[in-house]
Amino acid sequence: MSKKVLVVDDDPDVRLFSVTVLEENGYTPLEAEDGESGLKMIKAEKPDLVILDVLMPRQSGVRLYRELKTAKALKDVKIIILSGIAKKTFLRSQKALTEFGGAQIPEPEIYLEKPVEPEELAEVIKKVLG
Amino acid sequence: MEIKKLLFVTKFEELGFDALRSLLSLRKSALEHVVFVNVIERDRVAMRRGKGYQKDEEVRLREAANIRFIDWAETLFEQGMEVGCYIVVGGLVAEVIKATQKEDADLIVIGRSHKGVLEHLYSGSDVTELLRRAWTPVLVYKHLSETAISVDEPFERPLLAIDWSPGSLRAVEYINGLKDTVQEVHLVHVADEDRLKGTSAMAIQKTRKQARNKLEEICEEFEAAGIKARAHVYVGDPNAEIERAAKDCQATLIVLGSSAKAAWVEKFLGSTPRKIAEESIYPTLLIPPEKEKE
Repeated sequence: MSKKVLVVDDDPDVRLFSVTVLEENGYTPLEAEDGESGLKMIKAEKPDLVILDVLMPRQSGVRLYRELKTAKALKDVKIIILSGIAKKTFLRSQKALTEFGGAQIPEPEIYLEKPVEPEELAEVIKKVLG
Repeated sequence: MEIKKLLFVTKFEELGFDALRSLLSLRKSALEHVVFVNVIERDRVAMRRGKGYQKDEEVRLREAANIRFIDWAETLFEQGMEVGCYIVVGGLVAEVIKATQKEDADLIVIGRSHKGVLEHLYSGSDVTELLRRAWTPVLVYKHLSETAISVDEPFERPLLAIDWSPGSLRAVEYINGLKDTVQEVHLVHVADEDRLKGTSAMAIQKTRKQARNKLEEICEEFEAAGIKARAHVYVGDPNAEIERAAKDCQATLIVLGSSAKAAWVEKFLGSTPRKIAEESIYPTLLIPPEKEKE
């Protein structure tokens, strides 16, 4: 059975791009358009990997990433961040949230800044899923 | 009532990051989430004879907005705030209402511009239409160049115009919820000059005293919450007098309730709030009455 990969991004063009890359490489793509619906789908579908945007309506990738990494049942979900927001900013935001009393969470393993080439994305997905 | 989440509606020219920065003092109260909204008006990308739908133009406008929002969002994210954004093609008011409902926002911030090229960015009717249709408080921000007043922190010294309407009484509750941001509030009631005509000096004094006493009761509510409050009674045309009072009190913001003259949507916004929102040099916060349960 092919592995399930959830793409969480509010931009339909980016979702289409990622979904195409996933299908061409034999994965089963799932889609969500914001952090809130992404979290629901992660709980329901238990994907093998999440490709996560940062700046989104309703719930950002910053908060969703934090929620996943602090939930016992979800902390091992593999995540690739794919965003226009700089990695440095993402790390600083997590640091700020930790300083405000949040839990210390690990840095994302893979952080890609948009735009990426399809080959690069496919390669990274392959590397993460083994 | 707290402002935890605000919707920042912008076309960039009239409402920039400086305006947003000035609202970050609301973090002292409860603000933790900012949602950017940019609506690309349908006309700008609509079908043209011989051209069809202008997809390239839509992509260009979307990306231009995206680049700006990413830059703003980075600043807010680094401060530990939550940030979201909508870049949509459609009608301004409909899309703002949709985003407000989706996000369950506590405040809508929108720019009003009326000078030179900026004049047509948000037509007065868009702001009016939004005020008429929104059940969420709306802050109509004024462009710095036209205000000639310093609005570093708009919520620092609000002038709250009270006409005893449900909206204005709800505004009292709203401002009370901002006690960590508001330093001093000035309450003003404008007595209608026409109503005083033909009455004796004693009767006029009595009217003033009654209004003043009612305002003092509200002042006590504010003082109990730790906000310094002062009451003022003015006489004359409400539009002109509220503006005058704002100047006299060195206010940073005018707050008005939407007067519920008729019971339902169509007429809930009286003409004074709308006029002040569109014409005053001061940022104007409009508080609608509580939405009736359906």
